[in-house]
Amino acid sequence: MNSAKSKLSGTSTGYKVFTIVILVLLAIFFIFPLYWIITGSFKDAATINAPNPQWFPLNPTLENYAKLFKQPAFQWLLNIIIICVGALVLTCLTASLAGYALAKKRFYGRGILFTIIICAMALPKQVIVIPLLQEMSMIGLHDTLLAVILPTVGWPFGVFLMKQFAETIPTEILEAARVDGAGELRTFFSVVFPMIKPGIGALAIFTFVNTWNDYFMQLIMLNSREMWTLPEGIARLQGEMSSDFGLIMAGATLAAVPIVAVFIAFQKYFTQGISMGAVKG
Amino acid sequence: MNMKKPLALLLAAGLSLGLAACGNGSQGSTETPAAGGNTPSGDQTAITIWTYPIGKFGDKESVDALIAKFNEVHPEISVTLETLDYQNGDTQVTGAITAGTTPDIIMEGPERLVTNWGAAGKMVDLSDLWTDEVKADIAATSESVVSACQLDGKYYEYPLCMTTHCMAINYEMFEKAGALQYIDEETRTWTTEDFQAAMQALKDSGAAPVNGIVYCGGTGGDQGTRALVNNLYSGTYTNAEHTEYTANSPENVEALTLLQTMVNDGLLTSDASFVASDELQQFANGTAAMTFCWNASNKAQYASQVAFTPFAMAFPSDDGTPELCGGIWGFGIFDNGDQARIDAAKEFIKFVCDGDQAVESVQMTGFFPVRASLGNVYAGTEQEADAEEFLKLMPYLGDYYNVTGGWTEQRTLWFNMLQQVFSGTDPQTAADDFVSQANANIK
Amino acid sequence: MAQNPAPAVAGGKVKKQKRSQFSGMSKALVRRETISAYMFLLPSLIFFVGFVVIPMIMCLVYSFLDMGLDVGSAKFIGLSNYVEMFNDPVFRKGLLNTVIIVVVAVPSVTAFSLWVSSAIYQMKAVTRSFFRCVFYLPVVTGTVAVTVVWKWMFNTYNGLINQVFGSTHNWLGDPSTALACIIMILFTTSIGQPIVLYVAALGNVDQSLVEAAQVDGATKLQVFWKIKWPQIMPTTLYILVITTINSFQCFALIQLLTRGGPNHATDTIMYYIFDMAYNVHRFGYANAMGVILAIIIAIFSAIQFKVAKTDNG
Repeated sequence: MNSAKSKLSGTSTGYKVFTIVILVLLAIFFIFPLYWIITGSFKDAATINAPNPQWFPLNPTLENYAKLFKQPAFQWLLNIIIICVGALVLTCLTASLAGYALAKKRFYGRGILFTIIICAMALPKQVIVIPLLQEMSMIGLHDTLLAVILPTVGWPFGVFLMKQFAETIPTEILEAARVDGAGELRTFFSVVFPMIKPGIGALAIFTFVNTWNDYFMQLIMLNSREMWTLPEGIARLQGEMSSDFGLIMAGATLAAVPIVAVFIAFQKYFTQGISMGAVKG
Repeated sequence: MNMKKPLALLLAAGLSLGLAACGNGSQGSTETPAAGGNTPSGDQTAITIWTYPIGKFGDKESVDALIAKFNEVHPEISVTLETLDYQNGDTQVTGAITAGTTPDIIMEGPERLVTNWGAAGKMVDLSDLWTDEVKADIAATSESVVSACQLDGKYYEYPLCMTTHCMAINYEMFEKAGALQYIDEETRTWTTEDFQAAMQALKDSGAAPVNGIVYCGGTGGDQGTRALVNNLYSGTYTNAEHTEYTANSPENVEALTLLQTMVNDGLLTSDASFVASDELQQFANGTAAMTFCWNASNKAQYASQVAFTPFAMAFPSDDGTPELCGGIWGFGIFDNGDQARIDAAKEFIKFVCDGDQAVESVQMTGFFPVRASLGNVYAGTEQEADAEEFLKLMPYLGDYYNVTGGWTEQRTLWFNMLQQVFSGTDPQTAADDFVSQANANIK
Repeated sequence: MAQNPAPAVAGGKVKKQKRSQFSGMSKALVRRETISAYMFLLPSLIFFVGFVVIPMIMCLVYSFLDMGLDVGSAKFIGLSNYVEMFNDPVFRKGLLNTVIIVVVAVPSVTAFSLWVSSAIYQMKAVTRSFFRCVFYLPVVTGTVAVTVVWKWMFNTYNGLINQVFGSTHNWLGDPSTALACIIMILFTTSIGQPIVLYVAALGNVDQSLVEAAQVDGATKLQVFWKIKWPQIMPTTLYILVITTINSFQCFALIQLLTRGGPNHATDTIMYYIFDMAYNVHRFGYANAMGVILAIIIAIFSAIQFKVAKTDNG
């Protein structure tokens, strides 16, 4: 590492400075929308609609939040959290079992199954939304949080991801467990599971973030105001006859700040996860 | 492989889990007794009502108060409310129809209740509510309301209120630009020539950052752009029988050409990313000198924001006699196959629209009653002054053509057509395309 | 964030598969393995079949129907929906826009995230996590929240962009800039994950090989292409896959910003399907487009994996 660094410093300082400048500019560009959301949520209508920008809310107001909490905004937050956590738990469980089987078992239909999974992975939900909607109402789940959770779990990306992780498990270890007389399930939980744990962590985050951002499914499946999610609620706050950016920014702040905080808090944990370098096995 | 059994098992398990975890949803309400508590021994009927934001009917507290009043008379019927918004309301109702989870009552206008859902066979025939007395009372206000609420002799809507959609100008800006001379402040009308002159005056004076924004980024508030185009040279949107769209008539094409020219000359602006809400915001904060989407409800909504006099006007027309689009709002009942609920829903509608409650219900909307017998419901109220301005425009009520077949479909086509015109397509070509596609959807 | 750097996408295993996967296994063992494999697969298959495969089959059936809001009165019309589709200029435009979005966003996200990662992975831990955090921010802020704030910033009259540049351009209302704006926002919400992945993958590159090459006098560029690039290849493939999925599914941006306009300049197939189903109520036609889109995506994915295999094998 040290020698690499000295080499690096040997390269053109001009390029290095250039890189840093670009990175900092980009960082500002990437932070700015969040800054604008949060500060915007404290600006009154006059400031928001003024022809000149106010970089910082000089007369901060809470009126946007007062308006926001006339809506069941906390319920929306709770709903999206239930959806994300539900989808995450079910996805991780089913996908790790299936991924392991696809990677380490030899069975009839394996090739074709994997091909189907690959093909279905990028399938946008818009394609199947009408049948899915009918299906949900048939089983009485339309307008419940499960109507969003279940199709998310059905999305085969997790299986694909876990298969890739499970492939790094040395077959010898599985053989050894079998020789020791461990049953299939025990092998999975005591040998396989610990080895693919970092992968499961990765899948958990991926599922959580993706589900949070899957506004389309929420929009289609959840009708009653009490069932809406926060992202959906924000989108719906802009009515036909009003586009109240202050109110919308308040909603966006409520949606963004908790998850950003969690992300920053957990960032360290995941960095550690990476440095374990599980792929090398 | 038979996947049915495990699937069913899992779904059953999932369902119970779901109900336990998040079961405060809409299904829960069917078992909930009426909020009043004085439940009689008779059968409870639970119904749901969805309202679009028609004045205070979009406001949960106001409607809940109305429901509470209803429950004083009918404790045996519990009513659950869901308020919709225009941005996603249609998506929501389409979803509910597809999923078979429609509400019992829905509040909107004939273009949805009759042309859309009624024509699709989803609504209950309300002919029994439309007694001869009711018919005569409503016809005394406008025959077109009666005809708009029916399709093939079946009434799918029981109307409560109506208005005319108009436009508004920023009075002070017009004054500053010396453009007030071009409008008739008494009749609230202006001719197409006056309109052009006023725009020129506004532009020359620089009084307004932008004169007016012809929004065409979506369906929101498209009654405004339709009325603008139709009035400039007295064209019609459909034929008199409402069997075909006529937006490519010479009058309309002339109007589209004029608008295209005015946009190119900087007298107007077109905006393909704006819908009415965005345009209204620019009007309310004093950027735009006019809005093409105005009525009592919008005036009330923006009252706290505007720092000028929003002056309601009819759309400019070549002969000075405008024909304004009407808005009619009322109730319809989705046919959920349960006669008890249908009857309960009718009780609710009768309570809201007939009898003593009617005046207050109309006041909640901020619009005008469809019943001639109710007279001026705002007389002596705080709203009287506001209402008067819009009452002046009521005589210009034009044909209610929103009941033409393929109505929903043509709304999408309409804003796309405007986008084409304002990005340089020949108005005749664009309008011809629009008409052929829109007519193809009339069944 | 923090995906494991390189789930070994495809890779050598494929070759093994070409010799029968069952070589050296007794029939009884194969049967036992098959049964146990399906037990492991069962929970996942239930969801997959129930909420992806079955709807997909229904979608295929509906695509042959003329079906509207009144589902009961749907009529069989054979291939008419498909014929109409290929004569529908909006569908073609949507297809083109979808391709543009994928073809522009995927390579630029991949290349840009690789550049950023190369620049930051050798920095001090604090600086590194700072930048990684920053580029990931739009992802955790949430697509809808990011979209609405951009909608405000792009506003012609009181949006920040025009205010700062003193311009009066209608960014989202002008056909020549609307799609670019959408892709730009998509870009900001897409690069977070690739950067995290690349930083980890670059950190895992075998340092002894790099040093050996440097001793042999290889230039920085040579070290990158000859040593590092092959080692981060699996990560690259993974990034390509997730970015492609992301780009195909870009919906909120379009629905909330432009509704496919102006003049269909931002209409994608996904949005057009939604529009047809929910605004125009032509379920049959929407599903026919869905079928075609699914086929396109399946082919696209298959090619991606084919390329991945040959590149790697």
